Amino acid sequence: MSIESASESPYVRLSDAVVNMDEVKTIRLAGEFLDSGGDPAQAIELGLVDGMRRAGDLFEREEYFIPELLICSEAMYGGLRVLEPHLPRGAAERKKGTVVLGVVEGDTHDIGKNLVKIMLETAGFDVVDLGRDVAPAVFVERATAVNADIIGLSTLMTTTMSAMSEVIRLLDERKARPRIKVIVGGGPVSQQFANRIGADGYASNASTAVALARRLREGTAEVATS
Amino acid sequence: MTALERLAGLSAGHALDRLPCVPIVGNTAARVIGVRTSEIRHSAELLARAQVAAYRRFGYDVVRVFTDLYVQAEAMGAKVRVPDDETAYLQAPAISSAGEVGQLKPADPKTDGWLPTHLEAAARVAQELAGEVAVTAAVTGPFTTASFLVGAETLAKWVLREPALVHQLCELALETALRWSDVLIDAGVTPSITEPMLSSTVVSPRQFQAFGLPYLARLVGHIHARNKSVTLHICGKTQRVWSFMADSGADCLSIDNDADLAAAKGVVGDRVRLMGNVPPVAVMYEGDPAAVRQAVRTCVREAGNSPRGLVVATGCSLPTETPFTNIDAMIRAVEEIGWPPRVEDDVHA
Repeated sequence: MSIESASESPYVRLSDAVVNMDEVKTIRLAGEFLDSGGDPAQAIELGLVDGMRRAGDLFEREEYFIPELLICSEAMYGGLRVLEPHLPRGAAERKKGTVVLGVVEGDTHDIGKNLVKIMLETAGFDVVDLGRDVAPAVFVERATAVNADIIGLSTLMTTTMSAMSEVIRLLDERKARPRIKVIVGGGPVSQQFANRIGADGYASNASTAVALARRLREGTAEVATS
Repeated sequence: MTALERLAGLSAGHALDRLPCVPIVGNTAARVIGVRTSEIRHSAELLARAQVAAYRRFGYDVVRVFTDLYVQAEAMGAKVRVPDDETAYLQAPAISSAGEVGQLKPADPKTDGWLPTHLEAAARVAQELAGEVAVTAAVTGPFTTASFLVGAETLAKWVLREPALVHQLCELALETALRWSDVLIDAGVTPSITEPMLSSTVVSPRQFQAFGLPYLARLVGHIHARNKSVTLHICGKTQRVWSFMADSGADCLSIDNDADLAAAKGVVGDRVRLMGNVPPVAVMYEGDPAAVRQAVRTCVREAGNSPRGLVVATGCSLPTETPFTNIDAMIRAVEEIGWPPRVEDDVHA
């Protein structure tokens, strides 16, 4: 995986550096890429994001675990810090939508939420991260304020599951649904639970959360155009 | 048969009246005596009373004094938030940088944090239920406590970037766990290890071997040296580390409902007793007695004949608000199966 040859495209080398968890090299390659006059948007999409996607695939196949995924994401963000300032203005077109994300009140387990954030950003979503131990009303206020498409709720504790239905109740009260979709995830949460509280979807891990968010956005688009 | 006779008989391979049954009751015990969860966490008298009352109310086969995973880490400086009537959770790790690791010290269970309270509670329960049922208390495993000392995400990164620091944290957490185990055993209580952060949902099997197994093996060895058997619980996915879990020397593996009990029987059933794995949330908390009965029958069908025995248990601790009727149904379902523990019907299920 770490073998490289001069004939490899700069994108492949960036992608490999991310998958190989090499933050220093990712940053160096990103700088060299800019020096050679390459298009930073391409380097992000075909290099960094591609590498993170591959890392996500390895995670799903249980070849990578949380430590590997976190270090890959540090490499990706390291590269982004180099490339992003050089993007032309208005390059935010790749944004797939806005997700307000957080761990619900009563819980501070946030690794799962952070992984979802990384994978959503990799997939081109704007993520507003509210952190952990977030009150239901705060989700609703922020989602309304930033005109979010999706609210993502995470928990690892059963005691906080009722806070998830509270978010949905508050959104309904404001008639903010179905415009704002609600997705839920975390150890004790299930599709069955999501159905019961009336959430728009459930994801068992960070990769499926991305697929779910995409599906919901496409669904919205369909409705809007039909 | 008493609960103690049942467990001893299972180990000896004798005929029993039924399989042992352990719905893992933690904070639900507070509901049995009508107090708030924060009250049992911070009062030896109430914690003991709640656990004894829960055992008497439901009649299960192992008592486990447990409120949350953080009591040891808290005694080492982690900040824990204790809501009035919900399970406690980690507010902030004890340290936030590599430079602070050297400042940490193992906890003294006689003086630090709420360990003295939990020790006194466990001792009271053991005294009251002596000769009747095994009384255990939770010992949070070294790697998991380490994650509370520095934060789970930092620890996960250090596993790859700062392995020496991870080992240093695990040593500190192990020393706390050894001391905690010692005072529990002195009080007539059996330590029961829970190590959720070593789940393959979090770290790789290789990382389990490097950062988990050495410390677990020392902890189990220490407890064995004092003539107590040990149950090891790890949440989430564990299939790829079952053999390592058995390598730790643990006598019984508690298998989460995220893992396959029949497969566990095949891989390690000849080396260790198995415990599991009725889903605590989807079935015990959200389901009804019929769903509980089905889940119990599935467990017994999958592993009731496991060579070293099966304890029909929940896959993890029960949610606080689990309906009592479901806990009753779990034990009734095991009684209904009786002995030998065979389930042959339910083809339609």
